[in-house]
Amino acid sequence: MSDAQTKVKVHVENVNKSYGDNHVLRDISLDVSENEVVVMIGPSGSGKSTFLRMLNQLETPDNGTIVVDGFDISDKATDINKVRENIGMVFQNFNLFNNYTVLENIMLAPVELGKLDKAAAEKKARELLATVGLSDKADVSVNSLSGGQKQRIAIARALAMSPDVMLFDEPTSALDPEMVGDVLNVMKNLADSGMTMIIVTHEMGFAKQVADRVVFFESGKIQESGTPEAVFNTPKNARLQEFLSKVMHA
Amino acid sequence: MKKIKKYVLIVAIVLLSFVGMGIEAHAADKPNYVITTDATYPPFDFQDKNNQYTGIDQEILKTIAKREGFTYTLKPMSFNSATQSVASDQADGVIAGMSITDERRAVFDFGTPYYRSGIGWAVKKGSNIKSLKDLKGKTVAIKTGTSGADYALSIQKQYGFKVVYFNDSDTLYNDVINDNSQATFGDLPVIQYAVKNGTALKVMNPKAPIQAGWYGFAVKKGKNAQLLAAFNKGFAAIKKDGTYDKIVAKYLGASAATFTGSKKDNNSTWGILKANRSAFLQGLWQTVLLTVFGIVLASLWGIILGVMGVSQNAVVRGISTTIIYIFRGLPLMVLAFFIYIGLPGVIGMKIPAVTAGILTLVLNEGAYTGAFVRGGFEAVDRGQMEAARSLGLPYSRAMRRVIMPQGIRIMIPSFINQFIITLKDTSILSAIGILELTQTGSLIVSRNSQGFRVWAIVAVIYLIVITLLTWLSNWVEKRSHA
Repeated sequence: MSDAQTKVKVHVENVNKSYGDNHVLRDISLDVSENEVVVMIGPSGSGKSTFLRMLNQLETPDNGTIVVDGFDISDKATDINKVRENIGMVFQNFNLFNNYTVLENIMLAPVELGKLDKAAAEKKARELLATVGLSDKADVSVNSLSGGQKQRIAIARALAMSPDVMLFDEPTSALDPEMVGDVLNVMKNLADSGMTMIIVTHEMGFAKQVADRVVFFESGKIQESGTPEAVFNTPKNARLQEFLSKVMHA
Repeated sequence: MKKIKKYVLIVAIVLLSFVGMGIEAHAADKPNYVITTDATYPPFDFQDKNNQYTGIDQEILKTIAKREGFTYTLKPMSFNSATQSVASDQADGVIAGMSITDERRAVFDFGTPYYRSGIGWAVKKGSNIKSLKDLKGKTVAIKTGTSGADYALSIQKQYGFKVVYFNDSDTLYNDVINDNSQATFGDLPVIQYAVKNGTALKVMNPKAPIQAGWYGFAVKKGKNAQLLAAFNKGFAAIKKDGTYDKIVAKYLGASAATFTGSKKDNNSTWGILKANRSAFLQGLWQTVLLTVFGIVLASLWGIILGVMGVSQNAVVRGISTTIIYIFRGLPLMVLAFFIYIGLPGVIGMKIPAVTAGILTLVLNEGAYTGAFVRGGFEAVDRGQMEAARSLGLPYSRAMRRVIMPQGIRIMIPSFINQFIITLKDTSILSAIGILELTQTGSLIVSRNSQGFRVWAIVAVIYLIVITLLTWLSNWVEKRSHA
């Protein structure tokens, strides 16, 4: 992962976002390289989820530049649907399609968007199900799954489009504690395989273990960023110190 | 989107016109006129035991048409709608025991006066009302748009009574007999005929009609001169050769049973059902037809409105909201009158009653459908759309493949509810003269005065149809969940 010729996958420059008087993001700039795993931490309401959702334009910035995979998505002329095909997203609440079975959830986008024919999409879906350890759930309704299973299916669904970048928005926050490990394992394997990943999470242990870089958000700003060792062991920013003292206690 | 909407609208109107014409069209090489009447007006206009329209007016018209070589399609409706249909060019002429007054002369051209009449007033048999003075504080029942009503209103202040309006004579008489109101004003011969045939009223001025005047056949002022001339020519002839006197004698001399059927036919529910089987079936058929077209087209229109309502384009959303607001806000009957009686004068084109009726249902029920369709789509969790979009699905495809299938499931109970409402709302269309189940009931009651039995039969028929509709809907719902 510490490749010499690193390529920038995500480039964010001077992005601002307000909801009315609430200035949720202030002049954010961040670059993410290919194969890099960036974990964003910070208190609730610090803007990290809003920032993540801007990377595939589920939220639009008020100003600034966002370039993902070489496409300037802050430019109105860019076909956002095309860009999104290469950005996988995993949500806190899974958001599996309730009107489809597990297999159909995974196959829907590649088939609808003409990326794969039905047979190829099914083959790929079954491979992905094996990867996330849920081969036996292919034909069940998504409502019969546990939260941990749902989230692993959601990861498989995102991977079915063969994305270059994966975004995770608090993927384990809605899970029962005993389910968290299975989901984190899948994510760890994905990181090991070289996927570029941007993750918003409260799992500090996971961040330490998997992240190439940890970014600390507070009050709509990036207060500090660096290697997990630097951020967790020798934090410089006072707010980060305070934040860590609270979460590490728990 | 706009283009599609316009296209759908045009197709719908054209389709509806065909439906209407298919039902109402007649081969027309001889002049064929549309004549309206109020068939709850014996002895002038009513339905006989075979459900044929008859009475003094109808026989005069039939005889004259035969002599003068024209044909006509008779449209029975309330008196008020009957005259307004002619005034708005929806029909060519009206014969409905219509008094010739100066006010009406401003709108209509009348043919030769054919029957001397005047206004009478009546109270419940055994009432202690002796003179007009006793009406102080009482309620007087009058029929909308009649000269009896005009007269009652002209003396209302002087005698200090309240008025209540009705659209058909039988309901009006029963209101007086049941003491909801205490007197009525109407055409003297009509009240006398009703009394003679057993209606429990007492006529207060049998020998002295108020504002004695004449009945006339009417066309819209300045229109249909040919029809009017033919009527006058034919009338002169039947007056001369005695046919006219025979017709009048036939209806005034005979007891109502001659025309309305024997006691046996009218005094049991089964007898009424048997004697009027074909009328009930025809009414039911018309109701089912209106319901089916209403449900199918209103659902399509409602889905279009609902989809527009969740569009990304604010203008399209605005159009949907406005259409829903307007047509959900208008009472169904106002909309029906507007389309059937108001619109033709403006667009210069006749709209058949059934077409107007279906259009009314589609616009009204479609607005309600549009509102719950939009609501159903909005009720689908936002995350579903975000997940679909994040995979790269465009908005329209995310709607079609993810949001709509889930939304429609949420909506199914609302659809079933709306279907039942649509079926019931068809009864309101009797106001524009569509001979559906409710109007059929009105006509039969006006003939046999068996309000309780006839309305009970009509109610049971509605319940049966609604039950069938509910079963069908539930069956479809179950299948959609499978």
